[in-house]
Amino acid sequence: MPKRTFKIFRFNPETDSKPSYKTYDVECEGWWTVLDALNEIKWFVDGTVTYRRSCRHGICGSCAMMINGKNDLACELQIKTLKGTITVDPLPGFEIYRDLAVNMDPFYAALKRVKPWLINNDPYPSKERIQSPEEFKLMGDSIACILCAACTSSCPSFWSDEQYLGPAALLKAYRYTFDTRDKGLGDRIDALDNKHGLWRCHKITNCYHACPKHLNPTEQISKLQRRIIEEKM
Amino acid sequence: MLKMLARTGTGSGGSNAWVLQRISGLLLVVALFLHYLFLHFLNGGDVTWNEVTTRLASPLFKTIDLIFLVSVLFHAGQGLVINIHDYIHRPAPRVILVSLAWLLMIVLLITGTVTIVTLEPGFLQEMQMGQAAGVIDAIQSQGVAL
Repeated sequence: MPKRTFKIFRFNPETDSKPSYKTYDVECEGWWTVLDALNEIKWFVDGTVTYRRSCRHGICGSCAMMINGKNDLACELQIKTLKGTITVDPLPGFEIYRDLAVNMDPFYAALKRVKPWLINNDPYPSKERIQSPEEFKLMGDSIACILCAACTSSCPSFWSDEQYLGPAALLKAYRYTFDTRDKGLGDRIDALDNKHGLWRCHKITNCYHACPKHLNPTEQISKLQRRIIEEKM
Repeated sequence: MLKMLARTGTGSGGSNAWVLQRISGLLLVVALFLHYLFLHFLNGGDVTWNEVTTRLASPLFKTIDLIFLVSVLFHAGQGLVINIHDYIHRPAPRVILVSLAWLLMIVLLITGTVTIVTLEPGFLQEMQMGQAAGVIDAIQSQGVAL
């Protein structure tokens, strides 16, 4: 088994005055992901290493972290695709609880502001709200977002404005705005149409490069901007 | 209060500001095209003070210039404010810098407007001729034959 070096960000706000890196040498199987190596470290080498994980196959979004300078899912990123020492940092732009675990409250608060649920006050139809395949396609791949926060945490506009909704929340707003069954744009427009909303996006496209699901929040944000302009005209 | 002020700046900063920024940007492109067209191509490349001031003093060009001035100052001011919002995070410096940026734009707007409105054709030429005449008088008064 090849030996790989992991440089892991360590910080405990209760005891440490400043963060530091700790290096671990781990014998890795060829098929391992970064999460497998982190588990190996936590379970057999140093139990104090703290990180979030849950489903371990790229669905829950818990294990998003910065690996070799790029936000990714630890459970999806294979070690064999990385060269040299593997540096693991927490998601940038968030308060650090401990090591790789960050305070996600601002992320969820932003998400809540765009009301990420179906809004339709029309009377219930007798069966269901039918959506044609063409109508479904309008939502694009925005439905595939797993809310891991890799995009929002990679966005410099989010780093500079704690009130900014961020790409993930805006993508969610897109998903419902372009859902033909949803009629809630009027309820969401106040959260979207201000300088902490849609218009703080400067099209830096970090979100696009960071998304482990290969979605394109930048493009969807542009479409949403156009929709808001059309709505107001 | 300061926190509330710090969130202001570009008005709503929403779609209205965004649309106005695009419109002013578009006007700048048109104005720049007209500038090159009139200054460097339509007059055969002969850029003299007399020609330029005569053209700029016409009401049509004064109107174009005023639109140009307002667009450029709005576009620049808004761009500055967006940058300030991106890089300055503490409320107090943010409010001060945003206020200074708009104050600068207002001062430039006033001085620019005064310059455009009061511009008269051939002003410099008259002044230069007046000065030259004064110099000639002075030399002649010293008894030097020209």
